[in-house]
Amino acid sequence: MTPILELRTVRKAYGDFVAVEDVSMAVPAGSIYGLLGPNGAGKTTTIRMIMNITPPDSGEVHVFGHPRTAADLQRIGYLPEERGLYRKMTVIDQLVFLAEIHGLKRAKILPDIQRWLERVDLAKWSKSKVEELSKGMQQKVQLIATVLHQPDLLILDEPFSGLDPLNQELFRDLLGEYRAQGKSVVLSTHGMEMAERLCDHICLIFRGRAVLDGDLKDIKRRVGGNAYRLMATGDLDRLKTLPEVEQATVQNGVVKLMLRQDASGSAALRQMVEFLEVHEFRSEEPELEQIFLKAVRDAA
Amino acid sequence: MRLNNVLVVMKREYLQRVKTKGFWVGTLVLPLFVVAVTFLPGLLMAKSKTTQSIVVVDETGRVGTPFAARANARDGQVPKGGKERGLMVDESRMARFEVKVELLAADRKAQKADLDRRVRDKEIGAWVWVGPGVFEGKPVEYHARSVSNVFTQDALRDDLTMVVRRERLQRAGIDPERVEELTKPVPLETQRVSEKGSRAEGGAVGMFFALGLFMMLYISMLLWGQQVMNGVLEEKGSRVIEVVISAVTAFELMMGKLVGICLVGLTQLGIWLGTVAVLTAPGIVASMALMPPGKSLPTLTLGVLFHFIMLFILGFFAFATIYAAVGASFNNLQEAQQAASVVAVFIVIPVMVMWPIINDSSSRMAVVLSLIPLFTPLLMPLRIAIEMPPAWQLALAYLLTLCFVVAMVWFCSKIYRVGILMYGKKPTFQEIWKWTRYA
Repeated sequence: MTPILELRTVRKAYGDFVAVEDVSMAVPAGSIYGLLGPNGAGKTTTIRMIMNITPPDSGEVHVFGHPRTAADLQRIGYLPEERGLYRKMTVIDQLVFLAEIHGLKRAKILPDIQRWLERVDLAKWSKSKVEELSKGMQQKVQLIATVLHQPDLLILDEPFSGLDPLNQELFRDLLGEYRAQGKSVVLSTHGMEMAERLCDHICLIFRGRAVLDGDLKDIKRRVGGNAYRLMATGDLDRLKTLPEVEQATVQNGVVKLMLRQDASGSAALRQMVEFLEVHEFRSEEPELEQIFLKAVRDAA
Repeated sequence: MRLNNVLVVMKREYLQRVKTKGFWVGTLVLPLFVVAVTFLPGLLMAKSKTTQSIVVVDETGRVGTPFAARANARDGQVPKGGKERGLMVDESRMARFEVKVELLAADRKAQKADLDRRVRDKEIGAWVWVGPGVFEGKPVEYHARSVSNVFTQDALRDDLTMVVRRERLQRAGIDPERVEELTKPVPLETQRVSEKGSRAEGGAVGMFFALGLFMMLYISMLLWGQQVMNGVLEEKGSRVIEVVISAVTAFELMMGKLVGICLVGLTQLGIWLGTVAVLTAPGIVASMALMPPGKSLPTLTLGVLFHFIMLFILGFFAFATIYAAVGASFNNLQEAQQAASVVAVFIVIPVMVMWPIINDSSSRMAVVLSLIPLFTPLLMPLRIAIEMPPAWQLALAYLLTLCFVVAMVWFCSKIYRVGILMYGKKPTFQEIWKWTRYA
């Protein structure tokens, strides 16, 4: 199946600083695709190149199966990292305008707007100016604006930053509905937990390079074949000195271990019992965070 | 360029502005304000009853008393038979004096020093010393704390001159009354010649008509040009630009904005011009008894109206595109202010040269300046309001300005496209210049 969005060796440099270096990625239709990476990795630059806000120095962007055109952009819902609306416009005028620049007609969109405003509990604010709204309400208006024209593809830059838990949930529901309709979502985040719960596919960007890319389950199988859960008492700090151990993170008395790809679990366990009282040791699916840390370490 | 996108942006820009109270208040209050600024200083001066007390010491014994009588007779009103200066307020007529004649003391130096002291102590406003050589053309001394009161001095000089002149005439054996009778000024009755023949039209009224239309254009261009800049800065500042620009191209957005705000300006101008057209329609103002009998106002003809609107549109686009580029280049109003004031200078220059052009609208200077694209939108309407320039000049002016506008839109849209998404430090002019080389 043709990917709904495809980047082909896209590159962007600012002077000597290469923000995005030959990134290629393919977003399958009907998926939620997570663009992960630490701050400053190049996620926003990548997204801005997708949206044609920053022209790439080289490489190609394909959407809906062909090289991107201006008309394609109207079929995308875009939520930029820096949020913003026309402060002096009323909520309803604002939403109508943003729908109209995406090619919709006022009369056709008004009932939709009403429905959305009711859903997010803003119906009685529809005639208020945006500047009279609280920050959280403005966020909701912006979310509506992003999805109002029923785009086939959503591009969301850090959608959860600055959202309170209620709005986060609203947003998660929304993304679920989108996927259910067979539409696609690309979102960037540095919150691993959120990405793990939402995404089918991920692309890990580190220092401008895509260091890991693919189906989340595949990646977990491939990269994280050697993840273990350990419950033990004793000198846990010594774990990191073992040659088999690549990562060891302790949380609430539970140690998440990531062993080297070629290391054997039982060999590691034999060494551990030398200095630890082991209560539990079992193989498990690695968390995205562990994969992330490992990939970043490998890349660095 | 997708026309529909331009229309959507245009509609927003237009409605968002026209729907505000500020627009309507501005549209209605501004004309009142202009009228007030024009006439209020004169009225205020007339109302403020500052009477200057002046002491005159007369060595000749022939000037002091008649001068005091003359000056004290001023009541702040325009004297009958004064020179006609149209509707302009002659400020010197509004001076009021309380002149006292004091006798010459034996020690003149001590007397002068004492008078200076009285001025310093604010006992008197000023003192005047008429020396013996006054009839031979020697100057009269005037001492006051401030000598910047040029209008008052004008009045004093007039009065002194009249008194001294009469005395000189009498000494030469000529009857001053007879001279006054014979040297009466000739009144000029101005008749404007147009295609429809001649009709009496007050010279000053014609001037005010041209001036009024000129000021309307000037205010509109400055005001709405800067509104374009503010609008661009607002989109940039609120970061809404990123969403908008993901759906419409930078050029569509810029054109929509320019056309929309241009229409706002035209709406306002239309209201103003409509008012002028009604007021200058034959009979209306005359019936309000504001006009001297036998004279009529110049009327707003369709031809004049056409040129006004066309030139406003051209002028607006010439300046507003530059303002759009300026707004896009900077992060906030403070940063943009410097560059914006450079643009404003080009709108203000025509105001600086308007008087010579009003006086002779077909002088070489007027013709040359009105053909320079940046000045055409303001100076050509001024000339048109006074006297329709030859067709070739009009055609050339339109052609040059149109080329200029096209070049500006092309050039500024490049800066605009790069600038609207540039955040961070204030760019230098070299950096902005570099943006025009992108793509």
